[in-house]
Amino acid sequence: MIDLWLIFRILVFPGFTFILFLTLFCDWVERKLEARIQNRVGPMVAGPGGILQPLADFIKLLTKEDIEPRDTKKLVFRYAPLAAFSIMMFAMCFLPIDGASVISTGGFSGDLIIILAFATIANFLLFMAGWASANPYGTIGSARVLTQFLGYDIPLYLLALTPAFIAGSIQIATIASSFPYILLAPWAFILFIITMQAELEKDPFDVPHSESEVVGGLETEYTGAKLAFLHLTRDVQVVFGSALVVELFLGGPNGPVFFGLDWLFYTLWFVLKLLIVVVISEYITTVVARLRIDQVLTGNWKILLPAALLSLIAAVALATWVYHPFGIGMAVGV
Amino acid sequence: MSNAADMINLLESKFGDRIQIKQGTLEAGAIIANNGLHYDVLKAMIEADEKTGITAITGLDLGDKLGVYYHVHTAKPFFTIKAEVPKADPKIKTVVDIHPGALFHELEVTDLLGVVFVGNELQGHFVLSENWPDGVYPLRKDVDATKVQLVPTPEREANKNAEGRQVKIIIGPQHPALLEPEKFSVTVDGEIVTKVEPRIGYVHRGIEKTAESRSYLKDTYLVERVCGICNPIHAYAFVSTVEKILKPAVPERAEYLRVIALELNRLHSHLLTLGHAGLEIGYETLFQYFWRDREPIMDLIELTSGNRVYGSLITVGGVRRDLNPEHIPKIKSVLEDFRKKMPFYRKLYQEEPTLRLRMKDVGVLTREDALKLSVVGPVARGSGVDMDIRKTQPYSAYDEIPFKQIVYTEGDTWARMNVRMDEVEESINIIEYAVDHLPSGPVRVEVPRSVPEGEAVSSVEAPRGELFYYVKSNGTDMPERVKIRTPTFANIPSFLKTAIGESIADVPSNFVSLDPCFSCTDR
Repeated sequence: MIDLWLIFRILVFPGFTFILFLTLFCDWVERKLEARIQNRVGPMVAGPGGILQPLADFIKLLTKEDIEPRDTKKLVFRYAPLAAFSIMMFAMCFLPIDGASVISTGGFSGDLIIILAFATIANFLLFMAGWASANPYGTIGSARVLTQFLGYDIPLYLLALTPAFIAGSIQIATIASSFPYILLAPWAFILFIITMQAELEKDPFDVPHSESEVVGGLETEYTGAKLAFLHLTRDVQVVFGSALVVELFLGGPNGPVFFGLDWLFYTLWFVLKLLIVVVISEYITTVVARLRIDQVLTGNWKILLPAALLSLIAAVALATWVYHPFGIGMAVGV
Repeated sequence: MSNAADMINLLESKFGDRIQIKQGTLEAGAIIANNGLHYDVLKAMIEADEKTGITAITGLDLGDKLGVYYHVHTAKPFFTIKAEVPKADPKIKTVVDIHPGALFHELEVTDLLGVVFVGNELQGHFVLSENWPDGVYPLRKDVDATKVQLVPTPEREANKNAEGRQVKIIIGPQHPALLEPEKFSVTVDGEIVTKVEPRIGYVHRGIEKTAESRSYLKDTYLVERVCGICNPIHAYAFVSTVEKILKPAVPERAEYLRVIALELNRLHSHLLTLGHAGLEIGYETLFQYFWRDREPIMDLIELTSGNRVYGSLITVGGVRRDLNPEHIPKIKSVLEDFRKKMPFYRKLYQEEPTLRLRMKDVGVLTREDALKLSVVGPVARGSGVDMDIRKTQPYSAYDEIPFKQIVYTEGDTWARMNVRMDEVEESINIIEYAVDHLPSGPVRVEVPRSVPEGEAVSSVEAPRGELFYYVKSNGTDMPERVKIRTPTFANIPSFLKTAIGESIADVPSNFVSLDPCFSCTDR
């Protein structure tokens, strides 16, 4: 029997369509915020306040001519952007948005690990996309992507485990529903935001996109629909990263519910919390300069990795001797 | 050694009557040194004064001979070493081995006049297009530029990437980091730069040659077109050389108005670069802020000269437009507003941590190298060389206006940008002083259209550094030769040196700290 409700959840709400429009909305928020900080007006033509500009840009790119340079590895060049986009969307489906994740019964013990793995795979596909484009700028740009995410994945995983350890669970829905862990591990929240900036390749860590050095980075040879999907993948990554922060540290979609409309209020809280994270992240992006690749790596191995380890140790110690004996932060049923 | 007489005595005692010294012509003196003596004279001068360097090398067509004039600056006085070579066999000894800063100047003279510098031969073209035929030298008088038959574009060398881990990255002619077309082939080993090969001349317009077939009046407008950003200083440099030959009594009010125009120009040029540097290191907010605050300065330029960019205010014998007294309060209020914002910007450039990470210890140019390469302007002053032409050889009204010479000793990108940051404040002071002490009287005197036979040089401090003009007149209303040496042309060799051994990521931030202007470089 075809479960129409499940199909609706996957395709429309809170699945594909909702996530897609949420992504475009977050893109607009980022652009508008950056513009206002920089004394510009930002997008303002398409829709009220330019809110449809990201959608317009996406559609415009879809209509552009699609050029494939002769020396590219066709298979990877064509499908890597699409595959990266699909995987990011799939990873989003595991996040509880309206109280439950997209596939209501899809959450399982350990899904935190698998969505982090999906994010890594998506990054690797982006690297392949640049590598296959047979262009020195693309090659250098994607080598930088690889260097950066391989390094920053380790502190990211360690920091993601900090709330997981206090909650005593590695299931996202459980972590999100048990407690807003920013209160119990604020240091981990700050470190996680910084690591997320690096993972998402935003300033001060956006060396793979440094146009004054590597032109377009891995996107240099991409045009048309493929470029549209590369851009969309990056936007979904931003939403995914922010959503992960929301789920792990800000209590996910949980909040007060009125009139029994739990799905509406859960979604509302989720989007509001997401916007807070997006604004923090974009604010950091706007007020700093880009670091150099060696400084980015030094920051990773000499500062963030030890800090992440210390954060985990502190979380373990606090959870064992302080939080758990008083019943704070423990997930139900652990 | 800061005295012209000392230097002349030294040279006379050393070379006796093998050289001729004409005191007083071309600033401190012209030294005629033929038969390879130019090399020894320059060597003696460098040994006597560490600040000796070559400002420019002018090539001239003198009929059956080619003149090679080495314009030499010392700590204070300015000399010209004149050498001549027969046109049939134009060979002269290179001075690159004693003064590496002469490299580009020699190559340019080779390309445009066919003088062969033994020891520094040119392969292919340096500033001319690849389509330009070999053996046709455009600055020789017998070449009619309209009749030159261009050759087909030569076969391009296949990109040789090989040699292990070495990868060649081409920056330019079209590249997001360069706003103007110029090519730098950067060879990198991983992320480390091992070699930089420049190719300039993509926007060469032959302004020096064009100037020879136009009247002095028209040339004033022509030389402004050398560079859009720093156009008044080009007009002033040309006009001041002509005025040195003509000797009109330029009214004092005109000199003050010229200073106001030049300093407004320096102000907007420095703000442009300070913002552009932000763009190069991925600091877009900095860029937007600086360019926002630059707009009122552009409005002032429009207010005083009539146009935002090309005011064409300065002309032979004075300025074309007087300052309206009603505008003075507006000028002062805009400058005062900007002065209020200065502490914020200065703090930002001095202390912002990510900016310091990207600029501190990047592209370090030591004082010795700066002297050897004859770098000019903020690049030299960032390396501890105190050479501000406004101080060392005051022109216009600068000797009457108090201002500080900004010198930093670090020699890195950070120091070069902070020189500009501090000069912004000095420029505001100068403009305010000039507006307050504006003499009364006329702003222009009538000058004859024809200029008597003679020659003159003029060194002025453009926003990007020392700008040099040499004008030779022949008694008609058109100049015989106009030589322009722009600051970026003198500063590029320093980039070729400092980029080696640094990360490719430092190339943009290092390069932008020279405030490069390729439109100037190519003329």
